[in-house]
Amino acid sequence: MEASQQDQYIVIELGAEKYALKISEVYEIIKMQTITAVPNSKTFLEGVTNIRGKIVPIISLRKRFHLGATSVTHNARIVVVNHNGEMIGIVVDGVHQVVQFSDIQPSTDIVSEVDGSFFQGIGQSEDGLIGILHLEHVLAG
Amino acid sequence: MNRSELMGVFLSEAEELLQLLEIEILKLEQQGESPDIIQNIFRIAHTLKGSSAAMGFEEMKQLTHEMETIFDKIRNQLLPVTQQVVDLLFECLDHLNGLKREIEQEGITKTPIDAIVHQLRQLEQNAEPEGKLLEEKQPKCQKYLCKVRLSEHCEMKLPRAHIVLHHLKQWGSVISSEPELDSVIEEANLNEFFFVIQTNADSDALQHSLSQLRDVEDAEVVPFSYESAAGAFVPWSDVNQDAEPGNSLPNQGRKEEKKIGQTIRVDVEHLDSIMNLVGELVIDQTRIAQVGNMLRDRYASDEMLDDLEHISNHFSRVVGELQEFVMKTRMLPVERLFNRFPRMVRDLGRALNKEVNLLLEGKETELDRTVIEEISDPLIHLIRNAIDHGIEEAEVRKQLGKSRKGTIKIRASHQENQVVLTVEDDGAGINAENVKESAIRKQLITAQEAEMMSEQELIQLIFLPGFSTARSVSEISGRGVGMDIVRNHIEKLNGFIDVETRLGEGTKFTIKLPLTLAILRGLLIKSQETTFALPMNNVIEIVRIPRKKIYSVKGKAVVKIREQILPLIGLHDLFRSSCRNSQTKHACIVVVGLAEKRLGLVVEELIGSQEIVVKSIGSYIGQVEGVSGATILGDGSVALILDVTGVFKLAQNLPSIESEAMNDVV
Repeated sequence: MEASQQDQYIVIELGAEKYALKISEVYEIIKMQTITAVPNSKTFLEGVTNIRGKIVPIISLRKRFHLGATSVTHNARIVVVNHNGEMIGIVVDGVHQVVQFSDIQPSTDIVSEVDGSFFQGIGQSEDGLIGILHLEHVLAG
Repeated sequence: MNRSELMGVFLSEAEELLQLLEIEILKLEQQGESPDIIQNIFRIAHTLKGSSAAMGFEEMKQLTHEMETIFDKIRNQLLPVTQQVVDLLFECLDHLNGLKREIEQEGITKTPIDAIVHQLRQLEQNAEPEGKLLEEKQPKCQKYLCKVRLSEHCEMKLPRAHIVLHHLKQWGSVISSEPELDSVIEEANLNEFFFVIQTNADSDALQHSLSQLRDVEDAEVVPFSYESAAGAFVPWSDVNQDAEPGNSLPNQGRKEEKKIGQTIRVDVEHLDSIMNLVGELVIDQTRIAQVGNMLRDRYASDEMLDDLEHISNHFSRVVGELQEFVMKTRMLPVERLFNRFPRMVRDLGRALNKEVNLLLEGKETELDRTVIEEISDPLIHLIRNAIDHGIEEAEVRKQLGKSRKGTIKIRASHQENQVVLTVEDDGAGINAENVKESAIRKQLITAQEAEMMSEQELIQLIFLPGFSTARSVSEISGRGVGMDIVRNHIEKLNGFIDVETRLGEGTKFTIKLPLTLAILRGLLIKSQETTFALPMNNVIEIVRIPRKKIYSVKGKAVVKIREQILPLIGLHDLFRSSCRNSQTKHACIVVVGLAEKRLGLVVEELIGSQEIVVKSIGSYIGQVEGVSGATILGDGSVALILDVTGVFKLAQNLPSIESEAMNDVV
């Protein structure tokens, strides 16, 4: 059970691209809600929001990957992850299904537009190849 | 109860006992041996021995046992209390504290105690002959019962009684009085009173001197025994039962013991969780009220809404009370903190060869426990500074015509909604010229700047990072990381520190702190659709002025409010967010203050004031200058709490407002 869960990934969407996040790293997925901007901080930080009485920082994956901003659609979600015991929300354009990869290759520089260090590998499934996010690197900086 | 729970109880008890032990040993050093002190120490050591034995901490048990033996010798007057003994006792205490820390951190004790036990044993062996010698030399202290009758013509009996008491204190230590002078209200009936005094003076001489006092008609001094007291001291029966024969508790001890009510120990974490939950309730309560108002707008005539309003009002009252009580449970008297100081002052005084008298006032003042923890380091630093830099050496003081002993006074008191702590010394004071030179030498300011500064401004320079006047770096203070850290610490707690100094007369640091950190009253302000909360105790006033009254001086916006010229700053400029031109004729200005500094914040909209629950924005975002935390508003959204210290810093670093931005402010 434990092992199979480790192998599950959540596929998220950012424009035309798809990325995967290890399901064990994801705490919950919530709908978009009001975010209060926090000034003078990291460029990709959207701000903070209130999740059940807790102040949770929210980052924008678009800004993190230096992709142009788009208007928020009703598909947009906040993926809340656990980072060193702290909850952090990541705004994505949409969330897809849960997948299991038949094979994971080390990431190379082939990933388009986006800095390769944000990935820990490339997963292969029926839907094709999907970059697996290296959460630590995505959040750091 | 499992082992870890027991451990918690043991540790908190040990902490308390060790603190008490320190106080008593200090008393022993200062006041010399008195049966009461010895008895107290004996009791504390015994309790500690018992509980450490029960928990199986052999070293701790053994050490306290050896200490007990020493105390027993002292009690039986076989061992005189010399400096050597006191020093060794303090050393034992440090050892015990060390052992306690080890238990706390690792669950076992590791440090060997053989050396100290050996020392104790040696002391014990040397004890007897010396002790006997002393006994022969010194007449044994005896207790006397003094009966004093005032003449009927005496006009002010209570003050007279105090004079008698004062007089008696010169003869020896007054153990008790009947009636208790402090509690006497009706002085008309105060014709006769009794004192129990312990002295080695002759009873006849004492009686003679007492009867010489004015308005004393008759004085009688008889050896004190419980039989002799029984007639006079009818209400004393409770004391007789408490005390062991020959050992009546001193007055003060009695009072302290009375104060202790029924208490239970509670894990601090539980209190924190309760506080968090109450915070949630406070937020929910504002939300309910808000939703109620919205419903009222929509369905004005619905009767159910009256019920909702009732419930909502009641709810907010209950939550308010709950909040108040939870806050109270988190409060601790500053005594906890103050108790650490006497020992520290003693050690420092000896290390620096300075004679220091420590006065502690307002021990009973209550503070939130987190505040107490946070304020401890800054206070310790201030005391160290006062001893190291403030108080002069005894010889120097004598030449200056001051008493040899320097005095450090630490005071705690409540003032409005704040706690005020002062650390005052009667030492050399801070020399503004020295501060200036030192600041210029360290390139903290330029010589030009220095010339422009007033004396008060120069003194404030001690709070700059990297400032330290001490020529040589000593172990105690003067590593150049002093006062700025103190100030940072205090400002982190939403408090502020101020310094007053007079050359040659002393220095006084005043620290003002909020009562609690968890919930505060905030002013909600809005700018660019973003809501901010401003701690109410930093808000001096709110004014609306026509925009044409805002002037530009050297590219900075200023305004004159009640003859005072204030720098102005737009809330949005602070965080460099984009600004749009406001069309209103009037500007809303919130004047904020930090110590004597004032700044006008231009805000777009005032929302109102409410209780806000302070929450951290977490370590991921980290420190944001100008923001101390966040809070959740009635509609569930998050508002940032402005940190006024940071705002002042930001305002200082802001480039002068360019013409474009100027349009916005003006």
